[in-house]
Amino acid sequence: MAQILVVDDSDAVRNEVSGFLKENGYDVSTAVDGKDGLDKVKGDSALKLVFADVNMPNMDGLTMVEKIRSELGNAGVNIIMLTTESDPSMKDRGKAAGVKGWIVKPFNGANVLGAVQKMVG
Amino acid sequence: MNSNANSNSQSSDLNGVDDTLTSHVLVCDEDNDAMHEIKGFCAANNLVGMLVQTPALYNILSTNIHLGAIFISEDIDKNGVSGIEVAVEIHKLRPELPIFIRRKEESSLTDFPEELQKIFAGCYKLDNIVALTELINRYIFGAGYPNEMVRGIREISTESIKSTFKDMDVLCDTPYLVKDKIIYGELFSLINIESDWCRGYMMLQAEERSLMNCIRAGKTQLNPIDPDFRSVNTMLSELSNLTWGGFKSRFISGDLDDSGAHKIQVPIIINHSHKYISFGSDEPQLCFRYTLVDPKGNLQPVTLYQKFVFSLSFSPENFKENLQEVDDLLDSGELEFF
Repeated sequence: MAQILVVDDSDAVRNEVSGFLKENGYDVSTAVDGKDGLDKVKGDSALKLVFADVNMPNMDGLTMVEKIRSELGNAGVNIIMLTTESDPSMKDRGKAAGVKGWIVKPFNGANVLGAVQKMVG
Repeated sequence: MNSNANSNSQSSDLNGVDDTLTSHVLVCDEDNDAMHEIKGFCAANNLVGMLVQTPALYNILSTNIHLGAIFISEDIDKNGVSGIEVAVEIHKLRPELPIFIRRKEESSLTDFPEELQKIFAGCYKLDNIVALTELINRYIFGAGYPNEMVRGIREISTESIKSTFKDMDVLCDTPYLVKDKIIYGELFSLINIESDWCRGYMMLQAEERSLMNCIRAGKTQLNPIDPDFRSVNTMLSELSNLTWGGFKSRFISGDLDDSGAHKIQVPIIINHSHKYISFGSDEPQLCFRYTLVDPKGNLQPVTLYQKFVFSLSFSPENFKENLQEVDDLLDSGELEFF
């Protein structure tokens, strides 16, 4: 059972973020797209935080968040988008769906860790 | 605002990198006076002239991906072949390249048979080389790529490359315009760009082996043990994604208009055996060449070619850099809590 789920279609980003979090002592699992991420969130009640990309094949990250919220409600897992997108309308859509934070790629370890410490402890 | 050879304006950023657009032209002319004139013309008009003779010309044409145009003389060359015959062959091989023929007596092409006239984009005489200026501005520099866009693309892409490759220096040549459609390397990515002022694609091209070497050397976030072609694909994909995200943040704002224009598409043709790609447009493509250098010298330099092909629409008069919006946005890597 993992504490944190990293959802990104890029191997490089999944490796980088999950590797960094593991080095910092967290249990991490990964998903390759929004569909996979949705399944993993549904199947792992121990999850406290999800980092999700926006632009992914099969199901994009914001749709995944909306489905998580509509199917599982707002309790439990926190979600932070980790994406190249910085468009205000996308952020508004994320906020409306209950996204807790937004990080613009490329990856910055200190900020990812800051988010984890706030959400997971 | 626009990059234009006519203005001969220099556009440099604070780091001293020159963003004035150039273009590479093949020069097939053996006349000493003409070569001297053309050399001066190229220097004055942001062109990089490459002097070439038959039969090496055909080899260069089949491999060179930089070309913006061909300057040719109607004279007979040292091999006994006339410029007109050579131009016919060039046109067969690379019809997308505009050919400008230097004539001795005539100031037009009207004495040529109609079929032959179609091969040439125009002609000029040494005593009226201003005609050549008009031709290059029409066929090469006429697209009007805004300097702010050219500079911004270079900055965004350089940062994206630096975040994708660890401990590598990133160099960028002066950006240039190409008319050719040859693919570099074995690997390329395409990502669609949609806005209210431009529609088309960004293409990144690379050689698989050099990227594989980077992965094996631990210069990326990918597992360096036994990478395969999928590893290389992943790396180029993420780099494209980062660059595209930066482009959108900086240059695209608001929603697309509802006229339905954004639904218009044309097929992209790729012919693998000829390493050829066509987006259905003959407009000059904006090209950047990046070289990644290992400061320790353990790796061969890696070359990445980036092309912007605004094949579906391009309205530079509507171009706007999101300066205000950029101030309001997060810097890369920054965290915002809601």
